[in-house]
Amino acid sequence: MDQRILSAILAVVVMPIVLVGYIQLGEWILSRLPKRLALRMRPYVWVFPAVAFATVFMVLPTINTIFISFQNAKGAWVGFDNYRFFFTNPDTLASLKNNVLWLVFFTGFVVTFGLLISVIFDRVRYESAAKIAVFLPLPISAVAASIIWKFMFEFQPASHAQTGTLNAIIGTFGFEPIAWLINTTTNNFALIAVGVWTSTGFAMVIISAALKGINSELLEAARVDGANELQVLRGIIIPLLMPTLTVIATTMIITALKVFDVVYTLTNGAYGTDVIARQLFARIANSDYGRAAAVGVVLLVAVTPILLLNIRRFREQEEVR
Amino acid sequence: MTRFSTGGWRKAAAFLAIAALLFAACGGATSSPPATSQEPGASTPAESGGQIGGQLNVWTAWGGTELSAYQAVLAPFIEQTGIQVNLLTIRDQDLQLSNNVEAGTSLPDIANPPNPQRYAEWASKGIMKPLEDYLDMTAYTASTLPGLLFEDPNYGFIDGKHYLLMVKSQLKGLIWYNPKVYTGDAPETWEDMVGVSTSGDTKPFCAAFESGDASGWPASDDLANIVMRQSGETVYVDWYEGRHKWTSPEIKQAYETFGEMVANDKVYGGTNYVLSTFFGNAGDGLFTDPAGCTFMEQATFIPSFFTQNDPSVKAGEDFNFFPHPKFNDEFSGNVEGFFDTFVMYNDTPQARALMNYMVTDQAQQLWVDQGGTLAASKNITTYPDLLGGNAATILQGAKNILLTAGDYMPADMQHAYWKSLLDYTNDPSQLDAILANLDTVQAASYTQ
Repeated sequence: MDQRILSAILAVVVMPIVLVGYIQLGEWILSRLPKRLALRMRPYVWVFPAVAFATVFMVLPTINTIFISFQNAKGAWVGFDNYRFFFTNPDTLASLKNNVLWLVFFTGFVVTFGLLISVIFDRVRYESAAKIAVFLPLPISAVAASIIWKFMFEFQPASHAQTGTLNAIIGTFGFEPIAWLINTTTNNFALIAVGVWTSTGFAMVIISAALKGINSELLEAARVDGANELQVLRGIIIPLLMPTLTVIATTMIITALKVFDVVYTLTNGAYGTDVIARQLFARIANSDYGRAAAVGVVLLVAVTPILLLNIRRFREQEEVR
Repeated sequence: MTRFSTGGWRKAAAFLAIAALLFAACGGATSSPPATSQEPGASTPAESGGQIGGQLNVWTAWGGTELSAYQAVLAPFIEQTGIQVNLLTIRDQDLQLSNNVEAGTSLPDIANPPNPQRYAEWASKGIMKPLEDYLDMTAYTASTLPGLLFEDPNYGFIDGKHYLLMVKSQLKGLIWYNPKVYTGDAPETWEDMVGVSTSGDTKPFCAAFESGDASGWPASDDLANIVMRQSGETVYVDWYEGRHKWTSPEIKQAYETFGEMVANDKVYGGTNYVLSTFFGNAGDGLFTDPAGCTFMEQATFIPSFFTQNDPSVKAGEDFNFFPHPKFNDEFSGNVEGFFDTFVMYNDTPQARALMNYMVTDQAQQLWVDQGGTLAASKNITTYPDLLGGNAATILQGAKNILLTAGDYMPADMQHAYWKSLLDYTNDPSQLDAILANLDTVQAASYTQ
């Protein structure tokens, strides 16, 4: 216990002091150097702590993970065995398939809803109230959101009172209750719906901000020229929002690839809803660090191109501004 | 999930003296051996039980009533020794412990054992300390239920030494019923049980398998109880140790037998209800009017859920149990038990004192008196209720107390096993594919 308190004090108090001390010391040394050299060295002095932190806490662990992925649970080298396991095991393959479902539908719904909601709410007077309602799920942690939806999805046999919101609703229209999380045609979409519910607010806020940035004269001109609202949307708004939409889409793709909490909380991967990140977790829980690392590396490889695309888009967008 | 337990007795004379003192202090049972002296003997301070003081970090997996029962057991120990016991409830101890071992950070003084796969390694590395270091083994083995002292690695017996202290036990595979609904005799065979006629909307069985990330485990106990009684202990042990295939006729037959219990038209609420309902609510159907079901299989702990869900139901009047029905005479003496065990990770006087205390008759009786648990010691015969006594009788009369199969499989296998039962309940027509997949997992997970 004492040790932990000490660590906490170290992190909160000592670290900032050390950093400030480092900057002071760096500046002091720079001030003694010839002016031109100081000018050239200063950025390196300032950027060093950030680079060092990133190296220690991100780059090295990544490299270490790649190493571990070639070892078995006991630490012996096994070559590509862990990867072979990943790509031949029916469970991981099923998980991959579900991640594709997430990638397509989660991303699609979030971007579409985010766009529609911002465009529609842009035209009403109660815009902020409506946007707050959509935004509200975002700050809720994914686990809490999943628990909320667990109640929404609750199933009782047809003869019982329906305690789940969804089944109560469809029951009033005379439909039989559905076991949303168990029925294999509905369960993946039920999980994706929870994800969409929590993420649409994020997409909406970003898209809405970009929408406000579009010059209204442009839209006026189009309308004067006789374009209807749908044409304005398709011909002007969407193309102008494209960089934003791409950033949102790529962010959502990454979210979809690493989705874990919703699946873990609601089904733990049963009934054909497993995903890669839960497989990763299961391997760690099993102390099978080699296979876990292999899953991690596959995930990293899958995410990297999208990440690069995202960064490039983001830069382009910055340049436009 | 917890495993083992043990009752200690007839310790070193000094220790007995302390036990007697403690008994007197709290007016507990008086069956302890005669205490000849109040003077602690000449053993180490830890074993003498005097004021030791200091601190002790203990992890348990218990919460709620289980935890408060344990706190009641600890109370006299704390008072007597002056040790400050820091209790921490950690459910996923295997993960926490192995991460700490891997990272080289500190371990609790006493906690549950890790996954059985790690016993041998942790014993040889000295991470787990053997009971022989600090316990009077003659007394310990004399007092502990014989079924718990099986000299097998899965019982914590590694290279001639014991590493798991058996502290309490439970009995699984009991068939619970409502005596106001079912008035017949205990069905002797499985066929008798399945053949009991039900009237109106009352289904033969109740079941519920939802348990968060461990969903499916209640079903795994149902299956285990079938395998051990249908095909015997050898098949059973070979099966969970990975030497017996899932696609074998024995295991396939067990799944099909299990299927008779959870068929959509046999089970209260249908299979979707079974799969989406929390296991603690499995018994709801026993108490509805008209009754939703006649029988429900679960371990000795389940009454705490019955009474939690409906405080008006009473043991003996509203619910009771009979032993699991048999399939054949040859294997009818096999029962599934599970045992809570403690492992000492840091050898300190405080830890030694608590480990010794846990297996005294006093601690064992105190625990039993809290209800809902069975002793690991065979000295304990007085139970606060009829049900506990009956369960203890089954446990003491068992030929083999067999372990919970899933707990002794590698984690991958265990989860695949649990999941397979959910999938099978959901769609029995997939049985062959499900079993084939389990064979694949078996081949991959036991090799490492």
